[in-house]
Formats: sequence, structure tokens, C-alpha cells
Amino acid sequence: MLAQDKLTHLPERFPYSCQWEVTCRCNLHCVMCYTDCFNRPDAIRQELGTAEFLRIMDELAEAGTLELCLTGGEPLARPDFFQLYEHAVRCGFLVTVFSNGTLITEAHADRFAALRPHRIEISLHGTTRQTFERITQGQGSYDRCLQAIGFLLDRQIPLVLKSTAMTLNQREILDVKRYAASLETVGYKLGEEIRPELDGGAGPFQYALSEPDLADLNQRDPDLWRDACQRDSLEAPPCRSGMRAFHIDAYGRLQLCSGNRRQSYDLRTGSFQTGFFEALQAFACDWKTSQEPALIHPRMHHV
Amino acid sequence: MTPTSIYIKHPDYVQRDVAGECILVPIRRTLAEANSIYVLNETGAALWNRIDGRRMAQEIVTDFCGEYEVEPDQLAKDFTSLLDDLLSIRAVEEVTG
Repeated sequence: MLAQDKLTHLPERFPYSCQWEVTCRCNLHCVMCYTDCFNRPDAIRQELGTAEFLRIMDELAEAGTLELCLTGGEPLARPDFFQLYEHAVRCGFLVTVFSNGTLITEAHADRFAALRPHRIEISLHGTTRQTFERITQGQGSYDRCLQAIGFLLDRQIPLVLKSTAMTLNQREILDVKRYAASLETVGYKLGEEIRPELDGGAGPFQYALSEPDLADLNQRDPDLWRDACQRDSLEAPPCRSGMRAFHIDAYGRLQLCSGNRRQSYDLRTGSFQTGFFEALQAFACDWKTSQEPALIHPRMHHV
Repeated sequence: MTPTSIYIKHPDYVQRDVAGECILVPIRRTLAEANSIYVLNETGAALWNRIDGRRMAQEIVTDFCGEYEVEPDQLAKDFTSLLDDLLSIRAVEEVTG
């Protein structure tokens, strides 16, 4: 019997890892959020109900999916979140939860401790109340986030803190990283990507760091600089979305990844097996190379 | 392995079949084992599937040998090794009384 942290002998295409945007609802309205445009009652009413969610989750388990990331919006803003979460853990998924932390109470932390996640990742946007709440636009959110981090640490829940680098918090990013390091068991991730809103809005980009500012930030920390240099030195490999990883949105639509929702397969009406093995592989992605090299290369002749 | 011992699976582990591999996922893991999953080989998976909280270890070995062409002594050694591993991670318990 081998203890492993990942499976190594998987087929080329296998539905191993799912990121599931379980809701677009959220108690906060972060300025760079790409889902907040659908955080409104009419859109929320269209989201998957509990029974549909559980049925699709069972299909994923049957298909062999092992890694399941529950994200949002704010996953805990769903009233049935723990019903979904606990079902997922009992099914044997390795469950990661992306959260803003501000809805996690001590009672919730106890439930996470009773049926443990693979990891919880909390967005910590700054180390001052002013910066944090300027980004979240939620009064009291800073204290609630820190309190949640404490609740989870007290229960030894695997935790990662992360920030999106923006004009609003660029001077506090390294402080967040140092804070995470001071907690010893807590990891840290810096996100640099700002995305357009799901309805096409460009609002988040007004907070994007310029290239020089981003370079300056990375140069001020050895870890960030090393990561940035590695990224820059490597030619980006072809995108592998849809090969072993896939995305499901809050409405049950299967997609290649969170960043590419141009084509969807509706899991409300079709099976996951059909969606993954038949529909998904035909979806377009600008970052994939052609699977089959051309057999005939046309040659130009100058007459 | 005590031939007359009976073992039962612990409910804190969920068995998954992922791409043909039998995996045990701990659902009440500690921080130290947060990233661990346990992969059973083919023989280990077949033996795991026979642990039912009713049959003695020797009965499981006999049953297995009746179905597959394996050397009983070697299988008993393999089963002992597997049970040691499963007991060490508390994926099975010996039924007492």
C-alpha cells in the first residue's frame, strides 16, 4: 500500500480534477471580482438546487473525479453549503474550499474539523482594515476574516492564504505573505491575474498593476522573484484544460476551465460521462495546440 | 496476522475507484496526513474488498486462494503486511469480543 498525494498513472484524458463554482452569490462585493455581476436575485434563482447539485456530484464520483474545488462567489453564502460539502467529503473527494472567510463561524469551523477538507484557501487582500475593506466593500469583513483564520488554525485545518495583486494593495502584499509565514503551517499564493467580469465588464482592470509595478513587487521578495523568473523563462506549455481538469459553473454548465466559458455542456439535462468524454474535448481553446499535425505541408513555389 | 482475528473497515476511510486504481481516502485526516491518499495494488484491493467484519483472516486467505492461483503462504505474508499497513493508518480495526 502506497501513501501518495496524487495519482500518477492516469489516462491521457480522465476527469480527475473539478473546479465547481457553486454560486455567484456573495456577502462581499470585491472590486476585482469577476462573478459579482451575477450576484443578484434573478441570477441566483437560476443556480443549481441542492438535489441537482448532489446528483451531479454523484456522477463525478462515479466517473472517478478525485479533486473537487468548491469556489464562488462565496460558497458559504449558499444556505445548503454544508450539506453539499459534507456529501462531497463522504463521497471521498479531496475537497478544497475557496472562501473569503468572513462567513466562517466557530460552529462552521467545528464542522470542517469533523469532516476535514483537503485545504481551505482564504483571500486575504491586505494587512490593514482600510485596504482590506476598500477592496471587499464590506464593513467588518477584515475582522471576520482574521477571526475565521484563527478558528481554522485552532482546529488544524490545512489553510492557504492568497491575495490578488492590485493597485489598492500592492504595498501590503509582502506583509500578507509574511503574516502567512508567521503562522507556520499556512501556505501563501499570490495571484496576478485580473479577469473581465462574466458579463464582459472590464471594471476589474482599473485595479490591475502595470508590468513595471508587478515586476517591482516580485523583485522585493526572493520567492516571488524566483517564481516570476521561472514563469518568464519557460515557454508556456499548451493548455491542458479538459484533459484531466474541468469546470462547472453555478448553473450546472460543464466547461473547459473557469477562464474559458465560451462553450458549455448542460449537466442539468445531460450526463457527466457524455459531457466530459464527448462534448468537452471538442470545445475550443486558444491556448491549445493542434492535436494532429498536418499530414501535408503546402509549399510555396515562386514561378 | 493472527489467523483467527477478524477485521473491520473503519468508517473514517472512503474507498474510491479512480482510473482503475483502488484508493483509500481518509475523511477525518490530521494536518500531518492532510495530503495523503492510500493506493492499493491489485492484490491489496482484492483483499481489502474481502474484509467484512465477519470472516476470520484465515478464511479470507482461503477464499482468495480458491479464486486465484496464488501460493497460500505468500498470500498470508502479503495479507499480514497489508493488515499491518491498514492498522497503522487506522483504516481497519480488529474486532474484539
